Amino acid sequence: MKNEPQPGILTWLAIIAATCLLLFLFQAVLWLVIPALLALVVYYCLRPMTRVLIRAGLRHGTAAKVVAGVLFLATLLVLFLLFSLAATHAASWKMTTRHYVQGGLDFLRKTEEWMALKLPSLRKSPLLMSSPANLNAVGEGFAQKYLGLMLLQTVHWLPSLLLVPYLTYFFLQEGNQLKKRLIRSVPNAYFEKTLLLVERVDQSLQSFFVGLMKLTFLDTSTLALGLWALRVSHPILLGLTAAVLAWVPYIGSAAGCVLVVLVSATDYPNEPVTTYGCIVLFLCVRLLDDFVFLPLTIGRSLRIHPVLSVIMLFLGAAVAGPVGLLLVLPLMGVVMVVAEILVQILTDHRLRARFRHANQLRLGLPGVP
Amino acid sequence: MKTSFRFLRGPSDGQRIQELKGLTLFKALSARELRELDELLHERSYQKDEVIFDEGDMGLGLFVVVRGRVRALSSHAALQQLAPEFGPGDFFGELALFEEAERTARAVAMEPTEVLALFRTEFFSLLERDHRIGVKILLELSRMVVLRSRRLLAGRQHLPTV
Repeated sequence: MKNEPQPGILTWLAIIAATCLLLFLFQAVLWLVIPALLALVVYYCLRPMTRVLIRAGLRHGTAAKVVAGVLFLATLLVLFLLFSLAATHAASWKMTTRHYVQGGLDFLRKTEEWMALKLPSLRKSPLLMSSPANLNAVGEGFAQKYLGLMLLQTVHWLPSLLLVPYLTYFFLQEGNQLKKRLIRSVPNAYFEKTLLLVERVDQSLQSFFVGLMKLTFLDTSTLALGLWALRVSHPILLGLTAAVLAWVPYIGSAAGCVLVVLVSATDYPNEPVTTYGCIVLFLCVRLLDDFVFLPLTIGRSLRIHPVLSVIMLFLGAAVAGPVGLLLVLPLMGVVMVVAEILVQILTDHRLRARFRHANQLRLGLPGVP
Repeated sequence: MKTSFRFLRGPSDGQRIQELKGLTLFKALSARELRELDELLHERSYQKDEVIFDEGDMGLGLFVVVRGRVRALSSHAALQQLAPEFGPGDFFGELALFEEAERTARAVAMEPTEVLALFRTEFFSLLERDHRIGVKILLELSRMVVLRSRRLLAGRQHLPTV
């Protein structure tokens, strides 16, 4: 829109504070926030499918039911597969995890030895002073300490995932009615601005979530192809996991790289070149993400400055931990749009005068708009 | 899944479709097309003398009068003289459907009035996903705009484009 007032420093501080406050509140109802967020992602991805069914002649409600029904069955199938996988492999997971962590630590030790051999000046550096015994202890302790907790957390979260198809059905079936009801409750003077606000929030979320899904697909394909070429086991599963981890900006990509390095170092303990190849692959995919994939998919849908993004990631992590990392940027994108429109409404004296005039009319008082 | 969230619903489907079918702008649409269009329409109620939009506001869409009467007042000489009125079935603010520009007139409800608003970006998204509905509305809109222009050229005081 032309000539819109830009938010000032106070508005920006309010946006940051509101984002942190929302994150803090969301922490208390994470069991609902996570499925609702996933449902929003699925809703934006499935909305075009519902529209295709409506165009094919189905009523809106029927189309929503068909799409949500298929989603519900798919979720049940995924949950069933996950539970059966967890039940059959639970005993060996501890051993497998320890095996891979140990493989990664062995790779680290070998790299240290190689560096000490090639660069004698580094021998006394603190980096190369850690003993193999310490590394082994870390490997033993990791599986013992964290794996049980991680599995318990996963099992705890699985039932609430059943909310995803139900919430998606609600969004598909009644999302538009809810939006219209919300707009109807707004005074006439602010009607058009509210329409604009809702439209922008909708567009921002759609661009972000659909873009995120496309980016995940592109990342998974590229990584899987690269890992397959490097002969690393389970390239698709690893590529998908790394691509999903990359949903958490900056930190997620590093975590995905560590995961793949662990697998590669364990599968090929005597071929460090493969592991280094994986690291190079991740760096290349990171560059592809930044210069090709991101502009093609998410673009600048959230319009957040990179420096502010990093600051918000730290704040998000401090306020709500790992969930904060995941939620902080989309949440801030929405808060930003709301704040921008609110600033426009509050600084538009004509809209406020019209609102006062309508109130006077309602009270039976004469007034000039 | 039997949940239908009825608390969010308005009047019955058939009644609503009949109401929309009765409006000139949407008369060429089938019941299915009207249902899809209805998803995009926003109902507003205005009191007598309440301003619907003001001259100089950034226009975001058109309004169709369902009940009541609306008068357009403008600082533009041609419109000032005409001071057109819009009754049930008439639409106004249609220029905003085509371009992001300031309103050329102030629209005021002359009596308690109910209107339907069609937002530009929502209309464009409808055009993209089902151009048949969009074409039917645009054809009717063009026909009405041409009619108004002819009447204006003929010097008849009747519903200019705002």
